[in-house]
Amino acid sequence: MSAQTSGLGFVGQSVKRVEDDRLLRGNGQYVADVSPEGVLHATFLRSPMAHARIASIDATEARRAKGVRAVFTGQDVVDASHPFPPFLMLPTMYTPLHWALSADKVRHQGDPVALIIAESRYLAEDAAELVEVDYEPLAPVANISQALRSDTEPLWDKADGNVMFDTYHDYGDIDAVFADADRVITERFSCQRQSNQPMETRGSVIEVDPDTGHLTVHNATQSSHMLRWLIAALAEKESMLSSVKGIIAQKERRKAFSAGIKAFMAKNKEEMAKQDNTGTVDQIKRDKATLLHLQRIGLGLLGMNDYPTVVAQDIGGGFGAKGSIAREDIALAVAAIELGQSVKWIEDRVENLTDGGQAREEDMTVALALDSDGTFRGLKVDLIMDQGAYPGFPVGAGFVTQIMKVMFPGAYKWEAFQQRSRIVCTNKGKYIPYRGPWANETWVRERIIDIAARTLNMSPTELRRKNMFGDEDMPAEMITGPTLDETMSTRKTLDHAVELMDLDAFETQRAAAAAEGRFLGIGFACYHEAAPGPPNFTDSINPGTGVLTAETARTVVEVDGSIKVITSQMPHGQSHETTYSQLAADELGVGLDDVTLIWGDTSRTPFSFIGTGGSRGGPMGGGAVRGSSREVRQQVVEKAAQMLEAAPADIEIVDGNIHVAGVPARGLGYAQVAAAAAADHGASDNEAFQAKCDYEGKGDGGWSCATHACVVEVDLETGMIDIPRYVVVEDCGPIINPAIVDGQVRGGVAQGIGAVLYENSAYDDDGNLQATTYMDYLIPTSMEIPHIEVHHLETLSAGGENDFRGVGEGGMIGSPAALTNAIEDALAPLGARVTEQYLPPTKILELAGIIAPD
Amino acid sequence: MSTPVQIHATMPIAFTINGNPYSADVEPRRSLSDVIRDDVGLTGTHLGCEHGVCGACTILVDGAPARSCLMLAVQAEGADITTIEGLADGDTLHPIQQAMHEAHGFQCAFCAPGFLMSAVALLAENPSPTRDEIRQELSGNLCRCTGYETILNGVETAVALMAGSGAASAVDNLGAPE
Amino acid sequence: MKNPPFIYHRPESLDEALGLLAAHGNDAKVLAGGQSLLPTMALRLGPPEQLIDISHIPDLAKISVAPDHSVSIGALVRHAGAERSNDIARNAPLIHQAMPHVGHRAIRTRGTVVGSIAHADPAAEMPAVVLATGATMVAQSSAGTREIPAQNFFEGYLTTALRPDELLTEVRFPEWATTSGGAVVELSRRHGDFAMVGLACHIQISADNIEHAALAFFGVGPTPVRVSLVESQLIGQPPTADVFAAAAAAVSATLSPTADLHGSANYRKHLAGVLTVRGLTAAAAERIGAPA
Repeated sequence: MSAQTSGLGFVGQSVKRVEDDRLLRGNGQYVADVSPEGVLHATFLRSPMAHARIASIDATEARRAKGVRAVFTGQDVVDASHPFPPFLMLPTMYTPLHWALSADKVRHQGDPVALIIAESRYLAEDAAELVEVDYEPLAPVANISQALRSDTEPLWDKADGNVMFDTYHDYGDIDAVFADADRVITERFSCQRQSNQPMETRGSVIEVDPDTGHLTVHNATQSSHMLRWLIAALAEKESMLSSVKGIIAQKERRKAFSAGIKAFMAKNKEEMAKQDNTGTVDQIKRDKATLLHLQRIGLGLLGMNDYPTVVAQDIGGGFGAKGSIAREDIALAVAAIELGQSVKWIEDRVENLTDGGQAREEDMTVALALDSDGTFRGLKVDLIMDQGAYPGFPVGAGFVTQIMKVMFPGAYKWEAFQQRSRIVCTNKGKYIPYRGPWANETWVRERIIDIAARTLNMSPTELRRKNMFGDEDMPAEMITGPTLDETMSTRKTLDHAVELMDLDAFETQRAAAAAEGRFLGIGFACYHEAAPGPPNFTDSINPGTGVLTAETARTVVEVDGSIKVITSQMPHGQSHETTYSQLAADELGVGLDDVTLIWGDTSRTPFSFIGTGGSRGGPMGGGAVRGSSREVRQQVVEKAAQMLEAAPADIEIVDGNIHVAGVPARGLGYAQVAAAAAADHGASDNEAFQAKCDYEGKGDGGWSCATHACVVEVDLETGMIDIPRYVVVEDCGPIINPAIVDGQVRGGVAQGIGAVLYENSAYDDDGNLQATTYMDYLIPTSMEIPHIEVHHLETLSAGGENDFRGVGEGGMIGSPAALTNAIEDALAPLGARVTEQYLPPTKILELAGIIAPD
Repeated sequence: MSTPVQIHATMPIAFTINGNPYSADVEPRRSLSDVIRDDVGLTGTHLGCEHGVCGACTILVDGAPARSCLMLAVQAEGADITTIEGLADGDTLHPIQQAMHEAHGFQCAFCAPGFLMSAVALLAENPSPTRDEIRQELSGNLCRCTGYETILNGVETAVALMAGSGAASAVDNLGAPE
Repeated sequence: MKNPPFIYHRPESLDEALGLLAAHGNDAKVLAGGQSLLPTMALRLGPPEQLIDISHIPDLAKISVAPDHSVSIGALVRHAGAERSNDIARNAPLIHQAMPHVGHRAIRTRGTVVGSIAHADPAAEMPAVVLATGATMVAQSSAGTREIPAQNFFEGYLTTALRPDELLTEVRFPEWATTSGGAVVELSRRHGDFAMVGLACHIQISADNIEHAALAFFGVGPTPVRVSLVESQLIGQPPTADVFAAAAAAVSATLSPTADLHGSANYRKHLAGVLTVRGLTAAAAERIGAPA
């Protein structure tokens, strides 16, 4: 395998992956592969009941079992830790405080009530069976309609029944527009609960330094800094007195902390001023303990001697699930601190299906107001999201409803829009972000548009095109606020998709099939997503949330000339090792293999709230890498110019050869220039050159867009769906690595196919999860995923540089909509109306009128 | 007459793994996957579900593919086991590894060990499968990242590599210093 | 999801194994391929106290053809071995037709034909093949040998007529007549999954008439079932599309499957009818296409 050398520029090429060598040899370092000497193994005892009080728990027998080192009950962990605080407090929202383990009540099947630490996982599981728990059952709240009723058992004492959030947002004069429009088309849609299901489950190995007690946490996390911060905040609970003593003793830390806060506030003054504090006030009024715990957590953090280090190396996928901080991570940290010994927990698949992350369960009633000529006037949405029992941290259901609010209008022009957002809690696993968490806005909007087209007897693609923003409208704004520019190229993707699908040819095909008794359908779905979006995007979601969005990278040339790029991003399949190396190598004029990417280790990487998520890896992370590499290049060039007695403008770097243009034979290598620089100014930390870049995004725009289109064939004997053609026309701007982009899109579409045809985290009326193993939660195999054509447009924005826009989520945003549109199209002759996202064979035959529901 | 092995007691087992002999005393209840990962120390074989559906734990037992999570280690007595670590010949990659690299086969690569072993078994029995045959044979391995397209491409590339060369050993190490 | 503890036995002879079964009965489970047993153990669903690993007992891995052309499959014959066997291809082709549906290759490497029959999962192929061919189960215990005909073998959900002290040592498939045609058809959610509904179909056609029909459905109840009412209606009829359609309607009307996560009861009833047509059509084509 020849090394890949520079010259043409790596960016834009499908360069092969740097990370492949170790991964293909089986030398990856995933969290389950980390086994410190003498590490103890953990398992959690979990509630079999959906909703119950814990009358008593007795771990005596378990503690005596072979190989058991300790058993922590819920109360033990409550006593030793702080609860998860609310992260985003929106007006009308109530976030219940909850601890890492449950002590008084269980609220879903799988709720952890005890932590068993033993010499092996086998022995820990044996002991778990000996813990006696006396449950007093409570009536389960099994679904959205039960949760909305005021007479059902509340999960949380201080909530209003089981409704945790209820708010309206209005844009334009919704009543006037609806009254004035020619027609109003209404439908109610429901999406089933789904689960992220990366192939690697969650896990944590916490090493404790025997001398200092310092924690090193190995974890399959998408955000190592957030995990570090939260373990420090919650698991290292000290008495108030020792916190205050610690604060006094930690003078330097106190000063640094205050300086940091001052700098943060100065930088984000405008953002902070926009924040609406009523949500915080509401929360504290409802639950005064919130303020108390926040204060104690703050004091604890200030007085703490030593924050943990978090290290994540290879991660086996996440799709959002590993961005949440797990209750188990905190419980494990409590155990590690108490025992003073290293502990390891690797989640098993049943645990992961139960509470490793669920999403998408939303009930949406939509009304589309339009005129008879097809002009869209207004859109109304009544959204209810089922967040399960416990709130996710840091991003929970509330934030997602607000992103949905912003994106519901899609690429279309409206005069008015209204969204009611409600969140209910039920006895289910927790709701966390799942790839394109807001995606049901696209599903529902694209469905209602198809229904409108059918009602008006108009072509679905023409109805879309007629109402879409185009270049001639720019600059423009979505009705919900975000600025649009020419990167909002959805209409271009639609035009190209229509061309590719050849609608006339399809109709001929459809007619021929119908003559044979076969049912074909075609469906389109169009969307755009903020990747990362314009500066006012986060403001539209919730004013003042923009504080979270900077991204940092550092480029370093060490004294021996080796090049390191240090990022706060956390690759878990996105191939950042390769794409960031491409960016840095192009800036620095070196080979791909000359760049080493460093990530995942909080002792070496810069702080980031979010880590990897939200389609920020390419645009934000990439922007920071490019920025810091460019600055280092400038430093190197200046030093080399001095050494070669030339002007910096005359210096070129090709294949690591730093030379005066036209005189390559008399060039210098990075090692020489670095050594000289180190000799000049000394090299702290072995660094000859370094630069840091805080990248906050570009000027306007930053939209990624796509149209998905597919043909389906419905087998009316079996209810099975075949997908003879699936096309994606996507535009994420200039592409760093086309092969990697294609992979991301296809992976997302595969999850969309799974969502529509195979995957259902179904609960019965007693709150029992039906899909607890891979026999019942069906991930599509190679036989179920067709060839997916991916076509790229690369619209540049006026801003020029760093145009790379995110693409990781898009495949999953368009696919459920395109597929369900195609299925309804196929069944239209039979009068079917598709209002559910989950369409297993039984449902297809019911929709077709072939069988009756049981 | 054999002696029963009591609870928590161990029994001796011996097998060959990647050409090397391995023997130890193990509890009968331990899965082969756990013994390979924790005792032999080869962590390349991954656990995705531990109930025999995802295929990430696939290894070769006497040349045939088997889910190591659905075997007790004691069932591997006398067997000739190959894991992902046994594919490369020192620095030289196996054609399937080389092919997956060229085809951008994987993303997070957690499922990769199972796919590689299943593919090796497939090609040993059928050196020139059609894409449909590849698709069907690999349907017992789950991937959540790729949508399978590039994995199928990788196996096709391996077919070409293995047909073309015969000098499979001519394949170089990735990223070897020049 | 780690296995619970058990006492492990590895008998070196059949007599030893039978002695262990006599001693431990209901507390014991037999381990052959383990592809059905081990997932349930990992999930800690009623683990056995005693595990009897029969894989070291000699002579249990045989496939043998008797003078009457019946073929016997021993307890340790793996699915993969059965797939490759010419004796089975010639004398019990319905087993071959079932194989592509049985799990995935790695499962077939380890799992055994007889083990699948003894486990009796209602959605599995082999038990239905047994029923459709009228195979005989040979059960041995320290008290002697017992032959159990197919129609008496499957008693309930995961329950067979085997006594706690008995080991199913072989299954004997009767001669596959030259007038026979067979097919195994099923529908599952994904390729390789357990069937939502399946049919192992065996018919004999002579002089353009159906002389014998065995329709063994799986996935439609706690055990595989033959629909004898429909089978008897097929006798004397020609193998035509109309006849098959009538049989399908009768099957749908007769079966009463239960609903589960993967399919409603009505869906399964409907599917059974669809598979009746597909199965009978394929079996008839195979028979008619076969050399005389």
